[in-house]
This record gives sequence, C-alpha cells and structure tokens, in this order.
Amino acid sequence: MRLSRRCVATAALGTTMALALGACAGTDPESEGDPADVDTDAPVTITVGNLAPTENPESRENLLAMVEEFEADHPNITVEPEETTWSSDTFIPMLQGGTLPTTLEIPFTEIQALIGRGQVYDLTDLVAGSEALSQLDPSILATVQDSDGNIYGVPYQAYTMGLVYHRGLFTEAGLDPDSPPTTWEEVREAAQQITENTDATGFATMTTDNTGGWTLSTLSYAFGGAMEEVDDDGNANAIFADTGATAEALEFYRTLRWEDESMGANFLMNQDDIMNDLGAGQLAMTVNGADSYGNLVVNRGLAPEDFGVAGLPQSEDALGTLAGGAIAMVSPNATPEEAAAALEWIEFVKFQRYLNEDAAVEFASSRAADDLPVYPPLLPVLGGEVEEQYTEWIAEYINAPVEQFEPYTSTIADIPLVPEPPVKAQELYATLDAVVQAVLTEEDADIDTLLSEAQTSVQQQIDAG
Amino acid sequence: MSDLTAHATSRGRSATTTPDGAASPRGMSGTRGLTRRRSRTPITWVRRGGLSTLVFMLPLLIAFGFFSWWPILRSVMMSLQRTNFVGAAEWIGWTNFINVFNDPLLATAVWNTTQYTLVSVLIGFPVPILLAIFIGELRRSRPVASVLVYLPVIIPPVVAVLLWKQFYAPDANGLFNQVLGWFGAGPLGWINDVDLVIPAIIVQATWAGFGGTTIIYLAALRSVQTELYEAAEMDGAKIWRRFWHITLPQMRGVMLIMLLLQLIGVFQIFAEPYIMTGGGPANRSVSVLMLIYRYAFIQGDYGKATALSLLLALALCLLSALYLWATRRWSQT
Repeated sequence: MRLSRRCVATAALGTTMALALGACAGTDPESEGDPADVDTDAPVTITVGNLAPTENPESRENLLAMVEEFEADHPNITVEPEETTWSSDTFIPMLQGGTLPTTLEIPFTEIQALIGRGQVYDLTDLVAGSEALSQLDPSILATVQDSDGNIYGVPYQAYTMGLVYHRGLFTEAGLDPDSPPTTWEEVREAAQQITENTDATGFATMTTDNTGGWTLSTLSYAFGGAMEEVDDDGNANAIFADTGATAEALEFYRTLRWEDESMGANFLMNQDDIMNDLGAGQLAMTVNGADSYGNLVVNRGLAPEDFGVAGLPQSEDALGTLAGGAIAMVSPNATPEEAAAALEWIEFVKFQRYLNEDAAVEFASSRAADDLPVYPPLLPVLGGEVEEQYTEWIAEYINAPVEQFEPYTSTIADIPLVPEPPVKAQELYATLDAVVQAVLTEEDADIDTLLSEAQTSVQQQIDAG
Repeated sequence: MSDLTAHATSRGRSATTTPDGAASPRGMSGTRGLTRRRSRTPITWVRRGGLSTLVFMLPLLIAFGFFSWWPILRSVMMSLQRTNFVGAAEWIGWTNFINVFNDPLLATAVWNTTQYTLVSVLIGFPVPILLAIFIGELRRSRPVASVLVYLPVIIPPVVAVLLWKQFYAPDANGLFNQVLGWFGAGPLGWINDVDLVIPAIIVQATWAGFGGTTIIYLAALRSVQTELYEAAEMDGAKIWRRFWHITLPQMRGVMLIMLLLQLIGVFQIFAEPYIMTGGGPANRSVSVLMLIYRYAFIQGDYGKATALSLLLALALCLLSALYLWATRRWSQT
C-alpha cells in the first residue's frame, strides 16, 4: 500500500512538474525582422520604464502628458509607462519573466555586456531610418555599437569622466576653486594641501562594486594606455599590464596613499560612499562622472556653490577620457512593430526637446518645479548647434551654477572620448577592483605582479567566452 | 501539595501510557495483516482512500513542486546550459563547471569561506552557550537578561550590518578605534585590513545572531533535570564540574544540531561581506555565495552561477553527512 501511494505521489509530482514546466517555459522571442516588413500602422502597445516616482510630481506629470501627446500623434501606439528602472539584479529576471519594459534607460557601462549576451534589440536599421537619430554624434554612438558597427541603443545624454571637487574645501585649504588641478602632479599637491589644512580627505577613489576598475581604467586612459585591444581576427586581448599606464595610475594611488597619506583611511568605497563623503564635505576630490551635480546636490546635500568639476588631467600621451551617460535600449523580446514604436517614443521623449522649443521649455520647467537641476547638456549628443539652440530655450529655467562647470566644459573639445573596454568590461573592472584595493590597503603590494595576475585572469574570462 | 501534584502527574502519565501500550501490539498485528493482503491494483487503491489522500496532498505537491522542486531541477538543467533568456538555451555539457573550476577566484572564495566557518565556530559557537548558562544562573533578572540578549535579532540585518560598518570605520573617529584610542591603541583598519576583515565580519554576524541561539540554549537548559544538579551539589561538585558533567552532556544533542546549522549557515555567508566590504579588500572577504552572485548578476552568466550553486549544495550535503557520521556516537543519548 505504501509503495503504491509513493508511486501515485511520484506520478502526481511528475504531472505537477510537467504543468510547471509548461507554465514556466518562456515564449520564443520574435525574430528581428526586416524593417521593410514592419507594419508601422498596426495597433501596438509598448511599455516604457523610468516614469518619475510620485516624489517628483511635476516630472511625472510631464511624462504622462507626453504619453497623451504621443498617443494623439500616433493613434495606433498605446504607451504604458511604469516606474521600472535599470538594475543588474532585476534585469535578467524581468527579461525571463517577460516583464522587461519595451524600452528602458540604462547606463553606458552596461550596454556592451548586454550586446555581448544578445540581451538587447538590434536597432541598426531603425536608427538609420530616423532623421534625428541618424545625426547622433559618431563618437558617442560608438558606445552602443558592436565590432560590426550595428547599433543597439540610443544614447541620449552623455558626459565624460572628470575631476569632481568640493569648492568649499578648496577655499578652506587656501586653493583657488576656479583654478582646479590640470595635471596629476597638481592633483597630488592639492590633495596634500587639503589634508594638511582641513579635516577632509584630499583625494579618494571608488574601489568596490566594479567602480574601482572603472575609475582605474579612466586613469589608465589619462596616463596613455588602453585596457584591451582587438586584433585583426577579432580576438580581444587584455593589455593593461603591458602598457605601463595602468601601473602609473596605481603608482599615483600608492604615492597619495602611503607617502602623502592624503587619501583618508577608508578604501572600501562604492559610488554612494564617495558621493556621501563629497556631499558631507569630508572629501575634496575624486574622479567621477562630470554630471555628478544632480546626485550630489539633490541626494547628498551638497551646497550648489560647493560643487566643482574640471576636465580630467591628461598626461602627454593620454588617450582621452572615458565616456558615461544614459542609453535608451529596447527589449530583445520586442516584436519588430514594438521596436519601431519604441524608437518613435524614444525619439519623441528624448530628442523632441532638442528640436522643439515648447518641449524644451516644458521639460526644463517641470524639472525646475520639482527642484531638480536644470543645466545645458555637458556633451552634445546631437551636435553643438542643436544643443546651443536648446540651451537658449531653457535658459530661463537653468538653476545650476553653470559657471562652476566651466573648468570642465572648457576642456571637452580637447579631450578625446574613449569607449569602455570592448569585451567583458564588467569582469575586467571587477578584477581590477581587487588590485586597487590591494594597492591601497597593503603597503608592500607589488603593482607589476598584481597587474600581471589580473591580466591573466581577465584574459581567461575573455577566452571563456 | 507538591506530593499531590506529583501523584496526579504520575497518574496522568500512566493513564496515557496504558492505552498506548495496549493499542500498540494491536496496531502492529493490524499492519502485518494488511501487508499480507497488500494489493496494488488502482481499484483497491481508490477504495482504501488513496484518492482522497492524493487530493489532500495536492496543494502541498503543487506548492513544493512549483516553488521548491522545479527551481532545483531548473538549476540542474541551467548548470548544463548556456542561455541568455532570449533565444533557446544551448546544452553545453560540463563547460560551466569547467569554467567555475578555472576561475582563479574560486580557490580564494573557498578558502575565505572555510576561514569564515572556522572563525565562526571559534567565536560564534561558544558565546551563546556561555551566555545561556550565565543567564540560566540568574534568578530575578533572567527575563530582562533574555530580552537584552535577544534585542540585536530584532534589528533588521541590513541595518545592523550598515551600523557595524560605521563602528568599524577605519579612521580615528570610528567607534571601535575611539575605544582603542582610550587605551592608547589603534587605530586599526578593521574591515580595511586584509587580516582582520573575516574576524570583524564574523563578530558582527555573531552579534546579530547570538540572541536567537541563546534563547534556544536557554530552553534546552530548562530541560536539564534539576535533580541531577541537586545530587551533584550534595556530592560537593563545584560549578565547573556541574557544567562539565551535567549541563554539557544534557545539552549536547541541541549543541550538535546548532553547530551543524551554524556550519551550513556560515558556509552560505553573503549579506554581511556583500554590504560591508563588497568582497574586499583585495578579495579577502569574497565568499562562495558572493562569487555565485557575481556570476549571475554582474556577469549575467546564470549557467556558471547555478553550476557553482550545485557544487556548494553538494559540498554542504557531504559536510552534513560527514558531520552526522562523525558525531553519531555523541548524538546518542
């Protein structure tokens, strides 16, 4: 009897499993069809992420009003906005569960990994067919392209890495906040002076959550060395241990940490920790995205007059600086019709304000009403003339002290924009996090050995595919 | 009065034991009778109530099947696949396992996790036992002491970890460094120090968890027969001998289970290093579970993540079996 029940239980379990299996099986994604076959007049519904939360009512209302306007212009498209934002923890579960919005905003740092894993829609043909989007700045567009030049996203906002600093601490230390350091030696001297004359840390760098490697890559570019190179056969090679530039950047850290003791005592810091310290006036300088103004002033309590940003110091043979920014991506599960509608929406919601005065004013005024920062784009995405016109339209609503951005904006034209390492950038950053931490926490750390081991490790990860 | 109570209790006991004792042999013979007449046809199965049993079991089967067994089976499948959750998954054999074994960080993570476990056994295992014995000795203040000991458990884990991250601040203003400063020592790097990071994390984890364990030990202590202590006291046994010869042997069953649970728990340590150090400095606090997290959520490689998860589950099964085998003689009371 017991055996018989067990058999039945097993059978029942099997049935349950089969049912569950059926329920869980993902639907096959639609293939990305020929744009010529796409029926752009067919009724289609798209979900769009990044709806502002209720804490920012004006921005939320602005987007909802744009949805209405867009739907009036495109009667066949229904737009369902939601508050979903990018997070590496939830992206794949949403993708698999079928709840990923048709279009979502993601940071520059993520797009290449998504391209590598095939988790983003190929927009090449759709972008080529759009008048506004085909004007995108080629060097910025490069961040969303694979090695064959296919386009996988729409970069709509861009900046480069810069030297973010606390003007109040500069003044307190006897430095001129209008003349921030322009060489790494000057950064070192300023850090020393701030450490000596104030209670704050002179210079600090992020070290955890892959940001240590990200910043080190930025410094490596500034010291003249790439992180990876792709050979003629398309094989990527990690080269950061061979160029000498990454070692120079680490030597810079080592000098400030162990000789000058101007980097404070905490060497396990992610972006939030660094931003909090800057906002609280406990840190004077760091390397970060030049658009940190909003984060620092709105979220970390930094007084607007204390925000300073300068172009990233460049050594003589520097390659340039790493770009950052935001990209609108389209779900790989989207049908060609949904993708086409999503691109229409992206163009409308992200670029209309650069081309239409009313949209520009509406966008800027709602942000200003929510006490969110309004300032001209740091890096022109659609070219200088378009952005100049846009800046004129929103001039009345600019609420950020743009003259304090001048040490940064004056260098933009001179510092080339360098994309992220093309293959397994996040793995490279994670591996280099540990190297940066080792240099900052172990006085006798052997930089060359650490880099050599890290390069071998990254190469293994690249080769593993 | 006490005699009366004892008498009533003993009568109560005998009243329950007698019918059980009488029913037991009948039950046995009844089962044997059924066994002889056992038939496996579906009709007899239905007639004997198999169907209603199944109906009652169904919610359980569905719940466990859907939320427990299916994900486990799915993990096993995924560990043998390469998938981006967009196209069809590709079966790639043992490649994920090979990639896991080829990861230079695996050895670091395993060694770190072993150290977490060893340090936690050294620090975390004796603390609740000693505290429970101490609180057990208290008379009037026992309830207050129990509440005070249990308090850290009430603090949400993430808040507790962030709080301790502040305590461990490596500059002279950090709480622990200020205390050290009073004695002219420090400042120490704490979680910034490659040698101190694992003990520092374990101290926090012990602080956060010892309240619950202490309460369990306190309950176990109450089951120790007080007559044994009284007899030992009359024989002139001091507190240490009473602890060694009565308390410990009486509690060893609970202690062995608690130790096993602790080993399994610490082997899966994640939140503390993830929040406090992110695995640093220089990967010195990366645990196996953090590596699994990185595979899945940083590298987006669920195949590799599930492969390492299965290896960890296997290691824990082996550890548990080995532990139960090694302690089988002690567990028999």
